[in-house]
Amino acid sequence: MNTNKVHAKLTGKELFLQIIRWILIVFFTVYALFPLFWLFMSSLKTNGEFLAGNPFSLPKVPQWQNYTNALTVAGLGRMLLNSVFVGIAATLFNVLVASLSAYCMSRFRFRGRDNYYTLFTTGILIPLNALMVPYFVIINRLGLYNTYGGLILLYSAIGIPMSTFLIKGLMDSIPMEIEEAAYIDGAGFMGRFFHVILPLSRTGIVTAATFEFLTCWNEFVFANLIVSSEKLRTIQVGIRYFTNQFSTDYVSMYAAIVVSIVPSILGYIIFQEQVISGMTSGAVKG
Amino acid sequence: MRLTRNDKGPLIAFMAPALIMMLLFFVIPVIYVVVVSFFKWNGITDPEFRGIRNFALLFKDKAFLRSVLNNIIWALVAGFIQVPIAMVMAIILSRKPKGWKFFRTVYFLPQVISGIALAMLWRAIYNANTGLLNGLLKLFGRGDLARDWLGTIETAFPAVLIYWVFYIGYYMVIMMADITTIDESYYEAATIDGATDFQQAIHITIPLIRKTSLATCVTLASVMGLRQFEQVYMLTNGQPANTTSTIVLYMYKKLQEPNYGMASASAVILIVVGIIFIVSLRLLFNGRQENRQVKKRKGA
Amino acid sequence: MKKFLALILALAMIFALAACGQSAAAPAAQEAAPAAQEAAPAEAAKEITINFPCIWVGTDSKAAYFAEMVDSFNKENEGQIKVVIEEQTDYQAYRDKIRTLVTAGEVPDICTMDTAADVELYTASGKFMDFTPYLDEGWRDTFATGTFDSYTYDGVTAVIPFESAIFPIVYNVEILKEAGWETFPANWDEMFEMFDDIKAAGYNAVGQMAGENAWTSMLWYSALVQAIGGKEAFENGLSDPAFVEAADVLKRMYEYTFDGAISAGAGDVNGHWIAQDTALYLNGPWWIGNLYKEDNAKDGVLLADVCDVAANPEWVGGKGQGGLVTKVQSFILAAKQDDPAKEAAVVKFLQYITDPDRMQVWSASAGSMFFVNYEPSEDTTVIAQKFAEIKKDAAFTVLAVDANFGPAYESAFPAAVSALVLGQVDAQGFVDQLQTAIDNAA
Repeated sequence: MNTNKVHAKLTGKELFLQIIRWILIVFFTVYALFPLFWLFMSSLKTNGEFLAGNPFSLPKVPQWQNYTNALTVAGLGRMLLNSVFVGIAATLFNVLVASLSAYCMSRFRFRGRDNYYTLFTTGILIPLNALMVPYFVIINRLGLYNTYGGLILLYSAIGIPMSTFLIKGLMDSIPMEIEEAAYIDGAGFMGRFFHVILPLSRTGIVTAATFEFLTCWNEFVFANLIVSSEKLRTIQVGIRYFTNQFSTDYVSMYAAIVVSIVPSILGYIIFQEQVISGMTSGAVKG
Repeated sequence: MRLTRNDKGPLIAFMAPALIMMLLFFVIPVIYVVVVSFFKWNGITDPEFRGIRNFALLFKDKAFLRSVLNNIIWALVAGFIQVPIAMVMAIILSRKPKGWKFFRTVYFLPQVISGIALAMLWRAIYNANTGLLNGLLKLFGRGDLARDWLGTIETAFPAVLIYWVFYIGYYMVIMMADITTIDESYYEAATIDGATDFQQAIHITIPLIRKTSLATCVTLASVMGLRQFEQVYMLTNGQPANTTSTIVLYMYKKLQEPNYGMASASAVILIVVGIIFIVSLRLLFNGRQENRQVKKRKGA
Repeated sequence: MKKFLALILALAMIFALAACGQSAAAPAAQEAAPAAQEAAPAEAAKEITINFPCIWVGTDSKAAYFAEMVDSFNKENEGQIKVVIEEQTDYQAYRDKIRTLVTAGEVPDICTMDTAADVELYTASGKFMDFTPYLDEGWRDTFATGTFDSYTYDGVTAVIPFESAIFPIVYNVEILKEAGWETFPANWDEMFEMFDDIKAAGYNAVGQMAGENAWTSMLWYSALVQAIGGKEAFENGLSDPAFVEAADVLKRMYEYTFDGAISAGAGDVNGHWIAQDTALYLNGPWWIGNLYKEDNAKDGVLLADVCDVAANPEWVGGKGQGGLVTKVQSFILAAKQDDPAKEAAVVKFLQYITDPDRMQVWSASAGSMFFVNYEPSEDTTVIAQKFAEIKKDAAFTVLAVDANFGPAYESAFPAAVSALVLGQVDAQGFVDQLQTAIDNAA
């Protein structure tokens, strides 16, 4: 494995590189953690303190009731469950569909393949705000307005271009020989996909799944548009519970945001540990 | 790989679900957008055919032209500054320094936070009175440089762009996943030959990810740069004087009016600009698709 | 619209059905209520369901009493009418949703909107219920005189102006005293003298913002146009010279605001006001409640205890003496119904919530102002009473510029203000920029 080599003596150049490396690592760590820290501190202030005081001061008295507010008043519990359910279902469906098509486009030459691929890539840049009316009409005509199914179908669909793009990108780096060997051994189309390519592209699939899940988790516009019942509301709707036509209760909103990111951070860490780390053994590149 | 006759059925079955979803949720809606772009339509009363007048109005509107320019800058900065930074960090972390798993997770965290919080934080950092940036400048005796960063014509757009360049988690994760698939024996051989980590990165890692995850990330980052909306909307709402506007923000404002015709026309222009980007990047990284497969095979 | 939308939708449906069959897009548990527009379940065929995506929920000050009213209405009409409230808290998202629903032809049974300039459009679309027959039966008399005059087109009244707002100047008495002003200036020349004194005393005179929707600058600009050009300026439109003159004054006011006003949003303006470093504050009656909040007190001093309210001062030589800037914060609309029973049910509900006795309670509990006539409650706060007096004393009212000129103007305003203040355009250029935005939308 790529373990960090420990030399008895570092040359000057290596020492310099080591220092640069750690400066970079620390810089990005601070840069990435600071927003979380600031968010958490702000969520413990009063609104007056937050608006009128120094934005980077610590809260005078931690206002834990902002969290009570977020959890009880806004009813975040149910929304978290909905988000988890919708996110997982949409992600599974999305990566399944995307890896099927990515396999075809990555491993085979067929008529129109490049055009299809361009179609998928272009899909990433479509500004979805422009599609509110058509999406509403489609979901409504399918009878999926105000259902989990509507959210799941829409979310998995809008993530197809991105997931296909990511998964195909990784499948492209799997050498043809591996698959050809399986072909000579008599493995069919399905067999090669499920037993050879799919396991080897796990990292790509996991990356795509992570992004797709975060897309679902952070999506608000369509969550508000195609759902009307409180029972089906997702977490992003909950975060906006503390705003109204005239004002925003910032600190409670921040508390709600903190509550909303805890599960996704935990999920991400567990996912990273269990899935990515356990699969680095199969080196395929070279 | 060659397609045998037996493969045709499964191939169609594999492609069909994705294609149907693309057709339903992208192709048809985009046709709708293109059609609407030729109409004057408020979404409430009947539309009125307008020919290319919406496009003509767009190209006369300085705010729109500025938005296109901003998006192009954004896409280039994302692809050719943000992604290379992410690549450097991916290479550093994939050499597994102490605590690399922790750092990998930490770098990704900003992507998990809702965009509202990130935008509010950076508004606070750039604030003229209580902002951290002005505070630091004063601390180092350069209080003369302090200003309303998001409210000055010259600094607003760079300020919006720069803070965001250093959130690299997305691309770093993609490239790290790719780097882990590189055969360890390459590095071992290089180490025996006395190559430093730096040389190994230049001669082994970068060439091996160039056409795969690096190309993926550059394309992805550029495209994300082109459809940038949320951060700008919450940081500056396109101000001052439209200098930080982007195409999607412009489009969103047109939707509010409601001017579906011009909103759709700006979406069409975004798509056209995007396709130009995607095609150019593909040429830049791959030459032709065919060549690449052959090279890969030789390398193996 | 029908022609090309229908074609595209037909295509969409074909592929949608195909997608359902082939792609195993099996929707998960469809446990929730059916789409709002679908008919009520067969077994309860008699009960009429009214669907109302509504913003008077969550942290809105009108939420508590509104929920009470909906409950009691549903109880009184059990088995016959059921009003279902869809909670909408993010106002921008609510606008987006209503606009999308209307465009897609799925108008909710009841909804609200806040853009006066769109009323004519909505009325002309024929998708909304005409309230005229019900208003003529006496309902109209419960509203302030003339409420419907500006919103009736070709004899059709499709909107009910509901919540109103006025924008008098709230000021910090202590800061004025420190600057040597015991009384509020009577005209704008004195205002600027006072601004100089306030600035010299180390305070900000006003809270301007060109970020977000440039809300307070929009209000100050409205007040200036009203003082300079009077009611006729709003009727003449942007060609009236008052708009150019007022733009110059607005730019001047930016010399008396806090640093960073160009990028500032509502949070910044409110923050400075709460920190009691800004003397004057311009905002609607919904902010009154915040003046009384302990959270917003500074060193134990409640804002309400150091505040007073003043009308817009006179512009010497101007045409707008005694005028007041107002806005309609919400209009109520209802979908046109085919079923007369449902139409009656919708009207019954609307008449229920706009009943003057209920409005009295609602107004007091929420601190809001409405178009319905009601006796002011005794619970009203001092500041709210002063707002009411200013409203009563107003010689005439005008709509704030954004409401007067519509959404295209509204969305172009922040860019124009920042360009004006940063010297990118002069006052005439500022007005031209806004005029172009309106022309492009037309």
